Amino acid sequence: MFASDMSLPNMLYGRVLKSAHSHARVKAMDVAGAEAMGAVTLTPDEVPDVVYCPRLVSIPEATYRDWRVLTDKPRYVGEPIGAVAAESEEEAQRALEAVEVEYEVLGASFDALDAMRPEAEAIHERIYLEDDLLDVESNVGCALDITEGDPKALEDADVVIERTYRTNRRYHNQLEPKSVLVRPEPDGGVSIWSTTQTIHNTRLLIHDIYGIPVGKIRVYKVALGGSFGSSIHVNPVVNIAVGLALKSGRPVKMSYTREEDIRDHCSYQMIFKLKLGANRDGKLAGGRLEAYLDIGAHQIQAYPLLGCVVGWWVSLYKLPYVEYTGKAVYTNKVPSCAFRGYGNPQITWVVETMMDELAGELGVDPLDFRLNNYIGEGDLFWGQGPSVKSIIRSCGVEEILTKGAEMVDWYNRPKAGAQTGRFRRGWGVGRGYHTSSAGAPVPSSIVDFGGAMLKMNEDGTFDYVSALMDHGCGTQDAHVKIVAEELCVPVEKVNIIKADTGTTIYDVCTHASRGVYSGGGAALKVAGKVKTQIREFAGRILDAYPHAVRIRYDEEGDRTVVYAEGIEGREVTYREVAETARHKNWGTVSALESYRQPSCPPHFTGYFIEVEVDTWTGKVKPLRVVAGADIGTVINPLLAAGQVHGGMAQGWSMSLLEDTPYDPETGDLVNGGSIANYKVPTSNDLLDLDDFTVFFADTYEPTGPFGAKGLGEGALNPVAGTVANAIQDALGVRFFELPITPIKVLEALREKEG
Amino acid sequence: MTINKVNTHIVPIEFEYHAPGSLDEAVGLLERYGEEAQILAGGTDLIPQMKQRKAEPKHVVNIKRIPGLACIEETPDGFRIGALAKLRAVELSPQIKEKIPLLSEAAQSIGSVQIRNLGTIGGNICNASPSADMATPLLVLDATVHIYGRDGAKTCSIAEFFQGGGDINLGRGEFVTGFTVPFPPVGAGSAFEKVGWTTFDIATVNVAAVVTLKGGKIDHCSIALGACSPAPVRGVLAEAALIGKEPSAEALEEAVEFIAACVEPRERWRRAPPEYRRRSSKALAMDALSRAIERARRFP
Ligand SMILES: Cc1cc2nc3c(=O)[nH]c(=O)nc-3n(C[C@H](O)[C@H](O)[C@H](O)COP(=O)(O)OP(=O)(O)OC[C@H]3O[C@@H](n4cnc5c(N)ncnc54)[C@H](O)[C@@H]3O)c2cc1C
Repeated sequence: MFASDMSLPNMLYGRVLKSAHSHARVKAMDVAGAEAMGAVTLTPDEVPDVVYCPRLVSIPEATYRDWRVLTDKPRYVGEPIGAVAAESEEEAQRALEAVEVEYEVLGASFDALDAMRPEAEAIHERIYLEDDLLDVESNVGCALDITEGDPKALEDADVVIERTYRTNRRYHNQLEPKSVLVRPEPDGGVSIWSTTQTIHNTRLLIHDIYGIPVGKIRVYKVALGGSFGSSIHVNPVVNIAVGLALKSGRPVKMSYTREEDIRDHCSYQMIFKLKLGANRDGKLAGGRLEAYLDIGAHQIQAYPLLGCVVGWWVSLYKLPYVEYTGKAVYTNKVPSCAFRGYGNPQITWVVETMMDELAGELGVDPLDFRLNNYIGEGDLFWGQGPSVKSIIRSCGVEEILTKGAEMVDWYNRPKAGAQTGRFRRGWGVGRGYHTSSAGAPVPSSIVDFGGAMLKMNEDGTFDYVSALMDHGCGTQDAHVKIVAEELCVPVEKVNIIKADTGTTIYDVCTHASRGVYSGGGAALKVAGKVKTQIREFAGRILDAYPHAVRIRYDEEGDRTVVYAEGIEGREVTYREVAETARHKNWGTVSALESYRQPSCPPHFTGYFIEVEVDTWTGKVKPLRVVAGADIGTVINPLLAAGQVHGGMAQGWSMSLLEDTPYDPETGDLVNGGSIANYKVPTSNDLLDLDDFTVFFADTYEPTGPFGAKGLGEGALNPVAGTVANAIQDALGVRFFELPITPIKVLEALREKEG
Repeated sequence: MTINKVNTHIVPIEFEYHAPGSLDEAVGLLERYGEEAQILAGGTDLIPQMKQRKAEPKHVVNIKRIPGLACIEETPDGFRIGALAKLRAVELSPQIKEKIPLLSEAAQSIGSVQIRNLGTIGGNICNASPSADMATPLLVLDATVHIYGRDGAKTCSIAEFFQGGGDINLGRGEFVTGFTVPFPPVGAGSAFEKVGWTTFDIATVNVAAVVTLKGGKIDHCSIALGACSPAPVRGVLAEAALIGKEPSAEALEEAVEFIAACVEPRERWRRAPPEYRRRSSKALAMDALSRAIERARRFP
C-alpha cells in the first residue's frame, strides 16, 4: 500500500494551483468561483508566515531557508500558489480552473551563468540563515571556496588540461508521484501518510511550519514507490495538504499527477570548469575546479552540496594542490534536489573524462593512470564534504580494476580511433565511489544517526521497530538479516513492525547510501544488547555464567538454544527464556538504542563498458559491461547485483538520454511535463543479462555491521564517465555536455568527418 | 497557459458519450455533431489528447459496439483488416505473419503490449500522425482504405488518404471501416525499420520497404518513409534508382542518396532537427532495403 492508494472516510481530494509564469507577483487571486462550487481553498495569505527549508538533514548553521508553503511570488512555472480541495478529483479540478489569478510578470533566467549577470532579475532578494536575513547578490544563493596545498604543484605540472563541462538536469522518474494523506485529529494534531524518505523530519518540519506540538503530529511509515533522493526533503505537497486539512477539518488526500511531479523536483545541473595537472611520473599534480550549480528556484540542500562536490572531487584521486570555488545559483526552474549520487555522478563524469585525456597526453594506459593515483586504504577521506573527515579502512579499488581488466582483456583491447565504418566499437573504463552514510568521528554539519528497538516475544521470536524507510531496495530485509545473524535465528523469526514517529526513535533519513551501513549498525547494536540480556536470563536459568554460555540454532527442532558447553542438561531455548522471564517477572528482553557511525566508508565501484556507435543514426548501444563493487560484506548478493544493474541503467540514461530543457518563450519545460516526452531506457534498450557481469571485491569494513558498507549510489557514479570514455574510444570524439544524444553524435561526426 | 488544466490522471473536460450499434447510426451522430464529435476506438491517442486538452470534443462516439469492424480476413486479393483490429491482433495473426510479415513487424514495434492491446490499426492511421508506424507498411503495399458515410461505402487509396499536416481524406460524417492490404508480389522480401530514442518511443524516423528480385536484378521496389515529412511518403526517386539494378552495395548507396530529396522534415518539430531526420532516414532506408533484399534472396 502506497500513500497514493490510501483513502479515509469523509476525505477530500486536493489539487495544487500552479503558477503559469516562471517569475511573477500574484497581484490578486479570486477563489469565489471555486468556493461557490463547494470547494475549500487555500491562498498564500492563509498559510503560516514561516520561511523554511524542506530538508532537515544539516544543522541550522548550514541550512539556508527560502521556502513558503504557498508563495505569492512564484519563481518557476508550476510553483504552488494556491490549493483547492473538493469531494472528488474531478470537482477539485473544476474548482481549480475556476480560480482567477492576476499576475505581474517579472524577468526570468533559465541558465545559471545568465542568472549571475548584473542585469538579471533578482529571484530572491533576501533569504534566511538561522536568524539572519541575508541579501542575495547576483542570484548566488550560497558559495564555498576551499584551497589546500601549494599552488606551485599545479603551476609546475608537466601536463595541464582545462575544460568546461555541462551536465543535464534530470527528472527522478520514480514510479510513485508524490502523494500524501492528512487527517486532522480531535486533539489539534494531524496524522500523515506520505511519500517520504524520513518520517521524523517530516514531523519536525510540520511542527516548524504549523506550530503543532511535535507529539501531536504522527507520521506513519508507508511503502515508498521509489524516490532516488526526491523525498529526502519533505515534498511541498505534504505541507500544502496539512494546510487544507486544518482549514477544512477533514482528511485531505493529494496525489500529484505526473505533470505536477515533473515540475516538482529534478537533479542539479552543473557547469564545471576543471583544470587538472599531472607529471611525467604518472602522478597527478593538482587541480582547480570552478563549479556552478543550477539549483532552480529554491534551496533544498545547495550549501551541503557545494561541500560534497569538492569532497567527491578530491576524494577520487590524490591531488597535492586543490583549489575550489563553488557557487549555487538560483534560476527560474524547478527546484533541484538530491538525485542518487548527490552530485557525485556529475563530477565523476568530468574527472573520469579528464583522467582519460591526461593519460593520453602522458602516454600511459588510462587504467594504470587510475591505479597510480586513487585514494584508498589509510588515506584521509572527505567525500561528504570538508566537515566530514575520516580514514579509509577497507578498499577494493585495485581488486576491482585488475580483476575487471582481466575479465575484459583490457590491455589487448583493439586500438582506438582506427575505425572508419558505419558501426564503431569502443571500450571505456571508469571508477568511482560513494560514501556509506555521513558518519564521522566528530560532529559535523550533517546529522547522521539512527535508532532501533528490538524486543523478544514470548515465543522466542523478535519484533524489530525502526523509523528507517525502505525505498523498495530491501534495506529492511538487510536489517532483518543482521539481527537474525547476531541472534542465531532464521530470518522468519524477526518481524518488521509497522511504525510511525510516535512509536520509533529518531532516524535521520534513508539517503547517502546509509541504510545498511548506518541503519544496519543500529540494528546490530540493539541485537547485541538483546543478546546480552538473553545470556543473562539464560545464565540465571542454567546456573551458568552469562558470558560463558553459547548460542546455537537447532535446525531439527527449529529453535535456538542457549547452553553451557560440555555440561549435560544445561540447555534452554529462546522460547523458554522468554516464558521464564515472564513467569518470574524479570521483564521483557528488549533494547532501544540510538546509533551514530564513526565514519562514512567509501564503497568503491568500477566499470568496463563496451559500446557500439551507429555513425549513421548516432545511436549508441551497450555491448558488454563488467562491473566490480567493493561493498564490504555482501549481505544480499542478488539485491546487491540488482543495485549495480539499476545503477548502470540510470547512468546509461544520464549519459545518453535524459534532460529537462526549458523553453524561454513560455518559461516552461520543453517536454510540457509529459512523461511521454521524457525518455528512459527500457530493458530492451539495455544489455542481455549474459553480457553484464557483476562481481564483488573481497573486503571487510571493520566499522560496518558484519563488515558491510553501502552500494546504492556508488553503483551509479562512474557510469556516465565510463560510457563517455567508451564513445571517445569508438569515435575519437569527446563530448563536454550531457546527455550525448544521437543528434549530438551526428553533429560531432559531421564536424569531424564532414 | 494551460498549466492548471492539463494532466494525465483524469479527463478534465465534460463531453457526451455515444455508443452507436450500427454503421448508419454512427454516421448519423457524426453528421449531426460534425466538428464537435470525435470517434473513439482504442483511445490510446484520443484519451491522452483529451487529458492534455489538445482535443476537446463535445461528443465522443465510441465505434466499438458496431459489429464486424475488428476482422482480419484473408481474401484472394490480400487481407481485409477491420479498422478496429487491435495492433496486437495484427502483430500475432499467424496468417499475416506468413503472408505479409511486414505488417506484423511494424505492429510489433508500437509502444508496449498494453498499448497494442488497446490501440487499433484504424486509430493509428486516422490519428494522422506523420510518425504512425502502420502508415509506411500500408503505403509500400498500396493498401486501400474503406470509408463509410451518408452515401454508403467507398474506397480511397492510402496514398490519397494522407493529406499532410495531420489531415486525412474524410468528409463530414465519414469514418474508416477498414483496409484492404494486397499481398506483396511473389518472392518479395520486406523490412520495417524505426529509430526512436528508446524502443518504447514513437518513431523519429520509420521506413518500410518491399523488394523482389528477378534474374539477379531488382524487379520491384517500394519504400516509404515516416516522420520525416508532413505525411508519410514514398521514396519514389530511390525506388526508380534501384529497379532493374543488381542489388549491390554500390547500387544501394547510390539509391539512398536520393532519400534526402524525398523527405521534407519540419524545422519546428521538436524532437529532432531536420538534418538529423535527413541523415537517419537515409540510414534506415539502407537498413530496410538491405534486409528486404536479403529476405528476397532466400526465395528459390
Ligand atoms: C505510450 C504510448 C506509446 C505509443 N507508441 C506508439 C508507437 O510506437 N507507434 C505508433 O505509431 N503509435 C504509438 N502510439 C499511438 C497510438 O497508440 C496508436 O496510434 C494507436 O494505433 C491508436 O489507435 P487507437 O485505437 O487507440 O486510436 P484512438 O485514440 O481511439 O483514435 C485516434 C484518432 O483516430 C480517430 N479514429 C479512430 N478510429 C477511427 C476510424 N475508424 N475512423 C475515423 N477516425 C478514427 C479518433 O477520432 C482519433 O482522432 C503510442 C501511444 C501511447 C499512449
